[in-house]
Amino acid sequence: MTHTTDRRSILRTAGAGAAALGLSGVLASCDTGGTGKARKPRTVTLTLWDYFTPANFQPGLNALIAGIEAHVAGVRIRRRAIPFADLVNALTLAAISGDLPDLAIVDNVSMSSLGGNGLLADLTSRVKSWGQARAYYPGPWASCQIGGKTLGIPNNSNCLALYYNTSMLHDAGVTPPTNWDQLADSARRLTTRNRFGLAMSAIRTEEGVFQFLPFLWQSGGDLDTFATSGPTPLAFLKNLIDKGSLSRACVGWTQEDVNARFLSRRAAMQINGPWQIPVLRKAPFEWNVVALPRDKTSATCLGGENWVVLATSDHLDKAWQVLEYTQRPSVLVPYLESLGELPARKDLAHTGTWTSDPVLNLFLKQLAIARPRLYGPHYADISEAVAKAEQAVLTGSASPSAAASAAAVKIDKALG
Amino acid sequence: MSRRRTAPLAVRRRRTGYLFSLPGLAFLALLLAYPLLYNVWTSVHDVGLRSQLGGPAPFNGLANYRSVLTDPAFWRAVRLSALFTVGSLVFQFSIGFALALLFVRPFPFNGLLRSLLLMAWLLPPIVSGALFRWMLEGDSGAYNALLRSTGLGALAHDWLTDPSTALGCVIIANIWVGVPFNMLLLLVGLHGIDPELYEAAAIDGAGAWQRFRRITLPLMRPVSTAVLLLGLIYTFKVFDLIFVMTGGGPVDATTVLSLYVYEVFFRFFRFGQGAATALLLLVVPLLTAALYVRRLRHEGVTA
Repeated sequence: MTHTTDRRSILRTAGAGAAALGLSGVLASCDTGGTGKARKPRTVTLTLWDYFTPANFQPGLNALIAGIEAHVAGVRIRRRAIPFADLVNALTLAAISGDLPDLAIVDNVSMSSLGGNGLLADLTSRVKSWGQARAYYPGPWASCQIGGKTLGIPNNSNCLALYYNTSMLHDAGVTPPTNWDQLADSARRLTTRNRFGLAMSAIRTEEGVFQFLPFLWQSGGDLDTFATSGPTPLAFLKNLIDKGSLSRACVGWTQEDVNARFLSRRAAMQINGPWQIPVLRKAPFEWNVVALPRDKTSATCLGGENWVVLATSDHLDKAWQVLEYTQRPSVLVPYLESLGELPARKDLAHTGTWTSDPVLNLFLKQLAIARPRLYGPHYADISEAVAKAEQAVLTGSASPSAAASAAAVKIDKALG
Repeated sequence: MSRRRTAPLAVRRRRTGYLFSLPGLAFLALLLAYPLLYNVWTSVHDVGLRSQLGGPAPFNGLANYRSVLTDPAFWRAVRLSALFTVGSLVFQFSIGFALALLFVRPFPFNGLLRSLLLMAWLLPPIVSGALFRWMLEGDSGAYNALLRSTGLGALAHDWLTDPSTALGCVIIANIWVGVPFNMLLLLVGLHGIDPELYEAAAIDGAGAWQRFRRITLPLMRPVSTAVLLLGLIYTFKVFDLIFVMTGGGPVDATTVLSLYVYEVFFRFFRFGQGAATALLLLVVPLLTAALYVRRLRHEGVTA
């Protein structure tokens, strides 16, 4: 008899399991941001979300928040740090459940999708009367302009460059490459049984696209001509893999994984950004950085974060005052120095550690040629198409021209 | 008056019955019916991120379903899901059965070994996924290190980043996770078989194979069906293990339906299309569950 009860309970589990499948999307909205606003007289609590989760970022952010609370009248900040990959999802879910924060620091590539979907407050008139737009580098500033409106203020910038292990290059008699031919040649000569000449990320997320786009731009191409201009950079990277200079496993590597390879001496050169510098400074070997090698032209991809105010905030004025405060040079310089990030403001190029530190200075100089990823509100589709094309070529499942043509169809549709 | 106060016992019993089922019904309505209906509503509207912020979500009939059903990536995901499910089930079940046959016999440390085997099933999928990812890593993983140290270095491979091996590896990981569950349920079934049957058969001169073929297999049929149907429902919607191991890549070699739905929702924010896909996805477990219920009823009648 116990048999029947057993079966019945199994049956119930089965039914629940089957139904749970359909709920996955809906249940997700249970996540709450927690914007319970404690209202003391004349003091508002603004919630701030960002993805600066690593430990070395905390002192700088804590100091910044202390500064805001001391200098912006009647403002308290409640900060929530969310892992990089989850911030946009968290904002999306919060939008659905109506729990968006007041402020956020977001990746500049998310601006189109967040702004295009109406999540961000329009700061155009405030920025106009503030009158400091000209102080910013054109790339970062452009990343805040969506559909003719100013939807954010650049917080900091970064871009990609080529790191190399000094002694490995010295031992192999290789000088840092400055163009594609030299890159291919030195990567091949630096490859040994225990290491690859070059490491880079070709993962099928935005990180991989961030690393791929410079190659596309350097070869003189762009996304609107991907069918004809895509095959060249794809074939170049495929060739690096065929020669054994770049690990095929790079299709699964994040930029953190790439840096880990470089740190453990399993890669002689790596493509990465300035946010790795604090970790790399602890490396037990000498390394240096040069600009990404050029082909027809020099190019690198602009990364970095922007301050945004969420459209649903009840305290737009206070939020704007906070933004204004953070952009004062006396606040911004020590904050960026502590984070090891680069300024998005031209007028800060001659103060701060990035003028004296040769490594930071190299990245700073590259900002002049760093291009933002401004491809409209459907960038997610474009990014996916590019990532898949790159993965298809690098894993040998499609030829460069076939992969590029297939991706171009999706890209053209998304570009509109 | 007194009649109204004390209704007949049967009626009172029924009323109490309804009262007792109320919490259960409320639970079902709140946590199953409402989300499910909301999902159906979403699937016939053009819902994007903007709609969630008070923007319009116009009714668009079956357009979401049409765009899903005409998306080659969806059909690719269907094929991969089928491969993943069948591949996992066949091996989970047969290995689980073999282990159950082993553990049904008493031997020293039987209990200890059985509990250790269960570990695989008790581990959170995130952990087992991360373990497999690390072991199958191309240049520093344990598997390749093992191959190289045993002179089989030529077989070393980028297991998870080669589209032709990634799905197989993910299936193997899922088999490893699922075997203990299969074994445990099948073991319960084996214990339920009357040992006198075997004794009688042995006296009649039946060999080990015949006893297995004529007694174990037929008597294990109901339990096996239950295990396989449950396994199908469970395996069909595996997400976390694959997400951790490959994220659906390389290219889309491991983008099974659950990962496909996730991407529609959280990479492209096409909620309408995602809801439509989720409902289509629901068809398989629902049919399986229906089949299972029918079988149960059928057995209930014949038993």
